[in-house]
Amino acid sequence: MKKIAITAYKCKQCGKLHYPFHDRCLQCKGREFDKVEPQGNVKLLTFTRIYNLPWGFDQRYLIIGVGEFENGVRAMGQIGVDEATPLQVGMTMIPSWEPVRVQNGENVFGLKLTPIT
Amino acid sequence: MRDVAIIGVGMIPFGRRDEDTLMDLLAWASLKALDDAGLGDKSVDAVYVANMGGGMIQRQTAIASSLVDRLSLLPAAAETIENGPASGASALKNGLLAVASGYYDTVLVVGGEKMREVTGWRATDFVATMTHPQAEYPYGITLPGMAGMFTRLYMEKYGVTREMLLAISLKNQEMGTLNPYAHVEMALDRAGIFDSRDAIVNNPTSADPLHLYDLCPVSDGAAAVVICPLDMAKKLTSKPPVLIAGFGQATDTHTLQEREDPTDLKAVTLAAQQAFERAKMKPSDIHVAELHDAFTILEIAESEHIGFFPKGQGGKAAVEGKTRLGGQLPINLSGGLKARGHPVGATGVAQVVDIVWQLRHELPKTRQVKNAQNGLTINFGGFGNNVLCFILRRVQD
Repeated sequence: MKKIAITAYKCKQCGKLHYPFHDRCLQCKGREFDKVEPQGNVKLLTFTRIYNLPWGFDQRYLIIGVGEFENGVRAMGQIGVDEATPLQVGMTMIPSWEPVRVQNGENVFGLKLTPIT
Repeated sequence: MRDVAIIGVGMIPFGRRDEDTLMDLLAWASLKALDDAGLGDKSVDAVYVANMGGGMIQRQTAIASSLVDRLSLLPAAAETIENGPASGASALKNGLLAVASGYYDTVLVVGGEKMREVTGWRATDFVATMTHPQAEYPYGITLPGMAGMFTRLYMEKYGVTREMLLAISLKNQEMGTLNPYAHVEMALDRAGIFDSRDAIVNNPTSADPLHLYDLCPVSDGAAAVVICPLDMAKKLTSKPPVLIAGFGQATDTHTLQEREDPTDLKAVTLAAQQAFERAKMKPSDIHVAELHDAFTILEIAESEHIGFFPKGQGGKAAVEGKTRLGGQLPINLSGGLKARGHPVGATGVAQVVDIVWQLRHELPKTRQVKNAQNGLTINFGGFGNNVLCFILRRVQD
């Protein structure tokens, strides 16, 4: 299984966790951070099923959500279920690092979330 | 700082304008505003052009330089302002500051966009380039998708229902039928999009829980205003000048996930607070508003974050008709983005044009707020990460 290639940044001064990267802490403007890898499963915070897709996605729909890892890192990801699968805010998802789109003939990898069944 | 007035406004009908170029749209709206200001055969000191997609869609950059040449406004200073869907209000803000500071006396601000030149697929991608290039865009997120995730949270927290969203769609499309500049001039039938068995076919899910008729259309269009110092206004035009009484602008995190409470539209609250403070007004002083209803949920959420209604009460107010003509606070009597359309660079200027018509009392009875004196606009960039608010006031004779 591929490593989840997301790096979050914890401010050395105040402890605020950031993802994506900021040059200065959003809370205290500190400039030094410890790198944090997301850990554990993901709690689904919100999601949507999108049927009017942008250029580059040759499929009928996409399910996208925002989730929070067990160590507090929050990230967007694609949810890998069919459209009829019931989803609920608060449910636990298993994260993985998989192709999320194809660009110039090559896979682009990103966060995929799958509900624990 | 000098007081600044709007002395001329112009708009061209929004919609699908296959025969016209982006420059046509910008030029025609500009000429209408210059004529309205009594400057039809004169020049201006500076021109600010709001446009988001010229470089990507039309493969045209330096649009302001091209426009002053086409309009024979040389050697006026000219620049293009790109600030996503808030480009229009940003351009007006820059014009306002230039006149208020005393650097320029007469400024033309025009916003325009031609989005129907490409497929919906491409247009959706173009708008999605506003999202975070690493943390959001690669996943295929769209602005309706962002709105869908926001709506789910807002429904959960504040009890907003689909019935409340429907009230916005019905009102704004009904107003669109009365607006000759609107892209969508078709009233909606409640049963057809909500109550009947056919509703799911007529009004399919777009980004759940949002449906097709919760979204604004992709449009072509342009709108323009001419501004000058208030004390010069009466010498230039016989029309009642409209004072830019206050403006505010605020930003928020690029990604929704980094907001402590993603349902809190902080930039809307802060921009409105600044505008009220500068105008020395409060929400109850506003008689008419044009809000950025790119998605129906935004009209409800913005009306609450500005302070027109308490949190959780905006949807109920819409259902009770409080935001219709004759209600407590009429909102989007132009049809809003929902019906007038949303050519992204034009929207912030078009909202101001509609409020100026309201404050000059120039609209037909079916859309005119009786004796309106003060109006407000919200132009919402990104997904609430760059928001501008204007408060306009009719200058008493």
